[in-house]
Amino acid sequence: MAGDYLGMVVALLALVIVFSLSAKNFFTATTFRTIANQIPDTTIVAVGMTFVLIIAGIDLSVSSVLALAGAVLGIVLVNWGWPLPLAIVVCLVVGLVCGAVNGLVVVRWRLPSFIVTLGMLEAARGAAYRVTQSRTIYVGGPLEAITDTTILGLSLPLIGAILIVVVGQLVLSRTVFGRYLIAIGTNEEAVRLSGIDPRPYKVAVFLLCSSLAAVAAVIRAARMSSANPNAAIGFELEVIAAVVIGGTSLMGGRGSVVRSFFGVLIIAVLGAGLAQIGAQEHTKRLISGCVIVLAVILDQYRRRVRNA
Amino acid sequence: MNRPRTSTGQLLLVSLMGLAVSVVGCHKHPDDKPTVALIVKSLANEFFKTMEEGARAHHDQHQDEYDLKVIGIKNETDVTQQIECVELVMAQGVDAIVIAPADSKALVPVCKRAMDAGIVVVNIDNKLDADVLREKNATIPFVGPDNRKGAAMAGTYLADRLQRGDEVAIIEGAPNAFNGIQRKQGFEDAMQAAGMNVVSSQTGYWETDKAQPVASALINGHPDLKAILCANDSMALGAVAALRDAGKGRSVYVIGFDNIAAAQRLLKEGRILCTVDQHADKLASFGIEHALQMLKGEAAGVDQETPVDLITAEML
Repeated sequence: MAGDYLGMVVALLALVIVFSLSAKNFFTATTFRTIANQIPDTTIVAVGMTFVLIIAGIDLSVSSVLALAGAVLGIVLVNWGWPLPLAIVVCLVVGLVCGAVNGLVVVRWRLPSFIVTLGMLEAARGAAYRVTQSRTIYVGGPLEAITDTTILGLSLPLIGAILIVVVGQLVLSRTVFGRYLIAIGTNEEAVRLSGIDPRPYKVAVFLLCSSLAAVAAVIRAARMSSANPNAAIGFELEVIAAVVIGGTSLMGGRGSVVRSFFGVLIIAVLGAGLAQIGAQEHTKRLISGCVIVLAVILDQYRRRVRNA
Repeated sequence: MNRPRTSTGQLLLVSLMGLAVSVVGCHKHPDDKPTVALIVKSLANEFFKTMEEGARAHHDQHQDEYDLKVIGIKNETDVTQQIECVELVMAQGVDAIVIAPADSKALVPVCKRAMDAGIVVVNIDNKLDADVLREKNATIPFVGPDNRKGAAMAGTYLADRLQRGDEVAIIEGAPNAFNGIQRKQGFEDAMQAAGMNVVSSQTGYWETDKAQPVASALINGHPDLKAILCANDSMALGAVAALRDAGKGRSVYVIGFDNIAAAQRLLKEGRILCTVDQHADKLASFGIEHALQMLKGEAAGVDQETPVDLITAEML
């Protein structure tokens, strides 16, 4: 178990050391505080994405679902004047509805989730622009309390994210539900032949992923003090990259939530470090792209060595 | 250019051309209202949405004078799509085009072609590149604000609150946009005049999400940073979020540009020091009026400067 995570911890430490030596003021409390405040939304969505990849699916719509759920949150809070808890419920319902559409369409018409969620990626973004009239909605005050609340020096979103990672990992490795998901990802036909209907499980996974995107929407809106219909464009690829760096297979049947969390950390440290050594956007993307492929190649080698 | 998207576009264009021919055929009565096409960047961007609404409001009041078409592109930097939009409205036989170009250089040739086809072209918001215009032998009147002057006003207001030699940083707009470059120059003018130390100037591509990591790196990399000058308000929102992430609250001044609704709230709370209003709602109307005058042969197609105003918390 510990050996499973060792490689990623080493990679993470190596990145921190490299940037601490090369970037001025990287190894400071404010840098780590910034990273700690910026990872919870990515982490939470990465947990959902890990589940989706494990059943050999993919969810490209998380970024738009996040934007739509956040936009609705902003409207309910500002335009309708509802109290925060109710607004959060409405926001989560938006996530659930998007997830239900994704899941039901995938199982009902046996479509590849790539296509269905690609459709949702466009549709939910369009809906986000529509409901907000393309305007950023400033929320401020009550919402910011979510990110400003700290327990033992850790912010509420970070604690929430870590809890979701722990629960996600336990569900995946210790429950019947989790084992079924791995079985579906490994060989769906075999699951069906052994008398288990995989469809409800698949729908559940898409529901989970979109709901977690809605949870991330609340955190992101709190962090930005506003709901922005342009939020998180391209975020789905960042999340998938983090999960894949964590060794979860795009072919399904294999993955770990905790390792996805490390993937998120690696991407976050890489992004912050590159920005701090003054790398421009194009350089950042070039290097991030190479790191993703390199990480997966290394993972393949590691696996082969272990299996040999 | 063998992508299927282009061929669909061409197909659409051809069919629309056919349609246009039939429309134009029965449309050229002397008492006819001219059609003005307003081509903006992304309607998903608040600034252009405001511009569109301003244009529609203007049209509502002058319905007997002209017909209005508003066209936006999906992605702010999708130059190809905007060129196709210009070709489309040319095919539709509009009388005037009022355009906020996504790229200062790449849109010049197609605008020139429109002018050669007898269409009046007015450039708003983002000024077309003077060298390319000269090279193409085209004169297109520019109706819009002096972005450099606006940015310098904001920069000067900020400088009054700083000490000579203080560290400041600039978050620029998209690197190929002329208005972005002008705002950067305006900020630099003001910072240089006040003797500030500009430690870094990087692009945030106009967007909150892209500006926020840039701002985080600036804040963490330069602990003595005193101010972040952002080329638009969306990026200022990103900078404010980055300050919260770093636990630095209000110890660093943030200034923006555009005066969007969200920024006004931040101004009141003192989290943004100032912004600049270039009256997006009126910008398109100014352009449309200029085009209508040119159609009547009244305006000679000279540049027209529109107002820019500094907005601070006391003014709200």
